[in-house]
Amino acid sequence: MAYDLHFDWSSSITEVMLGATKAEGGTRRLSYRIGGGTTLPFLETTQGSSAPLIAFEICDNPQYWSPIVRNYCGDLVNDCGEWAKTADSGYGSDMIRLYLTSTRQRNFSDIPSVGKTVESVLSNTSLPLIIEGSNEPKIDSEVFLKCGEAGQGERLLLGTAEAGRYRSIAAAAMAYNHSVIAQSPIDVNLAKQLNILLKEIGLSRDHIIIDPYTGSLGYGFEYSYSAMERIRFSALKGDTDLAMPIICSAVDTLTVKEIREAGPAIQDDIAVQWEFTTGLAAAIAGSEIICVRHPKTIPLLRKAFASLKSGKNTIGGQ
Amino acid sequence: MRTVTFLPSYRKIEIARGSTILDAAQRAGLNMNVVCGGQGKCGKCIVYVQSGKTTFDGQKYGRFFTDDERSRGACLACETSIESDVQVFVPESTLIQEQKILIDGQETAIEFHPSVRKYYVELQPPSLSDPSPDLSRLLWGIQKNGGPTAEKMYVPLEVLREIPAILRHSEWKSTGTIALVPGGYRLVDLQENDTSKRLYGAAVDLGSTTIVVYLWDLVSGKVAGVASNYNRQISCGEDILARVNFARKNGLAKLQTLATESINAAITSASNTAGIDREDIYEVVVAGNTVMTHMLLGIDPAYMIAEPYVPVVRRALSVATGRIGIACNKNGGLFVFPAVSDFIGGDIIADILACGMSEKEEISLLIDIGTNFEVVLGNSEWMFSCAGAAGPALEGGEVLFGMRANPGAIEKITIEPGMLTPAFSTINGIKPRGICGSGLIDLLAELLSTCVIDRTGRINTGIENPRIRTTGHFPEYVVAWANETDIGKDIVITENDIKNLIMSKASVHAACLTLMKQAGITRREITTIYFAGAFGNYINKNNATIIGLIPEINIDQIINIGNGAVTGANIALINRRKRKTLDEIAYRIAYIELNAEASFMDEYTSSTFLPHTDLTLFPRVQKMLDTCRVAKR
Repeated sequence: MAYDLHFDWSSSITEVMLGATKAEGGTRRLSYRIGGGTTLPFLETTQGSSAPLIAFEICDNPQYWSPIVRNYCGDLVNDCGEWAKTADSGYGSDMIRLYLTSTRQRNFSDIPSVGKTVESVLSNTSLPLIIEGSNEPKIDSEVFLKCGEAGQGERLLLGTAEAGRYRSIAAAAMAYNHSVIAQSPIDVNLAKQLNILLKEIGLSRDHIIIDPYTGSLGYGFEYSYSAMERIRFSALKGDTDLAMPIICSAVDTLTVKEIREAGPAIQDDIAVQWEFTTGLAAAIAGSEIICVRHPKTIPLLRKAFASLKSGKNTIGGQ
Repeated sequence: MRTVTFLPSYRKIEIARGSTILDAAQRAGLNMNVVCGGQGKCGKCIVYVQSGKTTFDGQKYGRFFTDDERSRGACLACETSIESDVQVFVPESTLIQEQKILIDGQETAIEFHPSVRKYYVELQPPSLSDPSPDLSRLLWGIQKNGGPTAEKMYVPLEVLREIPAILRHSEWKSTGTIALVPGGYRLVDLQENDTSKRLYGAAVDLGSTTIVVYLWDLVSGKVAGVASNYNRQISCGEDILARVNFARKNGLAKLQTLATESINAAITSASNTAGIDREDIYEVVVAGNTVMTHMLLGIDPAYMIAEPYVPVVRRALSVATGRIGIACNKNGGLFVFPAVSDFIGGDIIADILACGMSEKEEISLLIDIGTNFEVVLGNSEWMFSCAGAAGPALEGGEVLFGMRANPGAIEKITIEPGMLTPAFSTINGIKPRGICGSGLIDLLAELLSTCVIDRTGRINTGIENPRIRTTGHFPEYVVAWANETDIGKDIVITENDIKNLIMSKASVHAACLTLMKQAGITRREITTIYFAGAFGNYINKNNATIIGLIPEINIDQIINIGNGAVTGANIALINRRKRKTLDEIAYRIAYIELNAEASFMDEYTSSTFLPHTDLTLFPRVQKMLDTCRVAKR
């Protein structure tokens, strides 16, 4: 291309390593180096810039999961090891994101089971792993330490740090060399503040992934898009406190009214389309990791990313 | 009717059944601390019913009481209705107390040009050979003694009617008082004999909380007396909004009367101390916020509190004091400062006059902080202003142990970094009862630099220290143990308090940034920051910068002008030329409506961090924090 796609930007996104192969001290069959961008996604003129990663989300207690996914995945949802295995070999995802939903029960105290779950997923897939800890500050510390310990050497991505609770997750990440998802409520300043807080307690910049919080399509996604865009612009203009890769997980997508109330014949398709459109838009806004819950969204996204890379329109019109 | 007896004073009042204890207390002349205006929201009007029948929903308001208070039968005066004859114990802490009030205006050399003068004349009695009328005779006499040209002086009918008797009774030796009013010169009074040495004026800061009066000898140009007291409108609501709502519901008359009564009380007290007859006060200059001055003049303020926020009048006004009930000479004049908008009132114009920013080429930033804050940025050529709600946190409201600057308030704090032991001083040096605004700013800065809190104000509960704990909903830091205090309970600051403080400081700082952006300047171009208001005078400038309340500039360039409103009123009282410029200053100031400013929320969010999300705006603070926080880690 004849024109400069870097405008007045001179900085790049910090690179973050996720997953570790044997050579890198872990047991994964591959590892990712994400970030490094110097302009907006899909504008890259340099060869070798990679498409966003697609992470498939699973959980260890499916009662919190969308019935659409439960129906589609069937019995797998009751065994997160098997589920992870299928996500890897069957659905074709790049990463697995495990939600420890079992810890959301009242007075949960079975911390050893957390370790077992993590180990089971690690042994059933050789993809890099994202682990979402508890929702309960009281057990945060133990849960994160257990995850961190179980995944030692694997360069996990641990979630989710927020301004109100980031110390225990950061401590676990620093102790076992994992990275952290830093989530803030759809605001560029709040995202930056959390990154500064994490930096100040010693977490290095290349161990942070920003989650600007993703609203569902039609339910505030445009704010998330704008936040992601502003984060990326600030980063490219040289704000190192915002120069981290972005993860997007529109967790409420499958529960929006349009999908909930869709007839059984089309519900699955609508769910997939909804998730696909959200994920694609987030990727264009700058997300390096797109999380999905419906297996059928994965190939659609992959196809879209490929076509954007090649410049050919191979989506739709069939 | 039911009889309510208030203990420990045994003050009695009769009131209709079903009235609240607060109604009764107000009727009985007890000034209770009702921050929320009696809506059951602030929990400050705690009383104990000793005998008799009342109704109070202890469940609903239980959160305001400690276990001890609850077991002793505490209830809120504003939410307790009286069923039978009752005895009510009112603890001292529920009553409004003596406040530390700022009465020192700045020392400015202002030329003495009052707009009221007295002229003693000894006239030749009329005769057949000189039959000119009484009035001409008097006015020529005044003109001959240095007064204005006789033809230019206007004489109101009331004064005219008194002239013949006074002149003859005094055997043609009398004293005329001439005032310069917007229409020209006016003979406002005629007295028998030589009273020319007895001429006084009052400069009034009509604050929503406090009223300050400076009584000036307008002959010698010296301050004759100073007095201050609470604005009695507090009994109709602590904040302005509550009072306007009170006026909408119950009419404006009561608030108008309370405003004049409050001013009169201060004028009377200053006059009595100085040994002055109030009848010799011929001029009163009032600087107050727009709602206050509207209320004082009995002009409906109701349209100011809702969109599109329109005041009835913004220009300077002159009226006869007698018409609104100010206790001074009935023909005296009342001058009310002009305003810029609803939210930038005469008090701010007075601040501007006091600091002189409208006459300087260099750019100044003026910040007046109370429950509301006002910010003015500019110089002799241009000025931008804005105003907003800072929330009461910086004045000690919405903070568990926050209090006004009353005796016993912790006003200065440092924290020793190792054991996190605080060292503090209180107003009047007595045992602490709470923490006032300046103490809270110190506390925030010290907690930050000792790493007890992070930059969002959250307490690091991982620190092993008895002072850091979680007893209620929020983590807290113990400032003083129960046995060190005057109130018998631990004085703490909670994470929620800190959050409120940060929100307050963020709105002030965001307002500064918004004006700077509007003017297209950075903090480097600001030569001086002026802090106005009582609060500003006690503030630790360095700590105010550390927490990011104000933009970072050289500490020496931050100047406390103290009570700028009264200083400005003083200047306008003694110098009529300065007074004449006020309307022009007010019209020159552009008002920026923060609600309409799209970037304000962004500036606000980025300011909800200590000191700010963009650390490059605070290089000195950043360096200081890096040093002490790294050492700590």
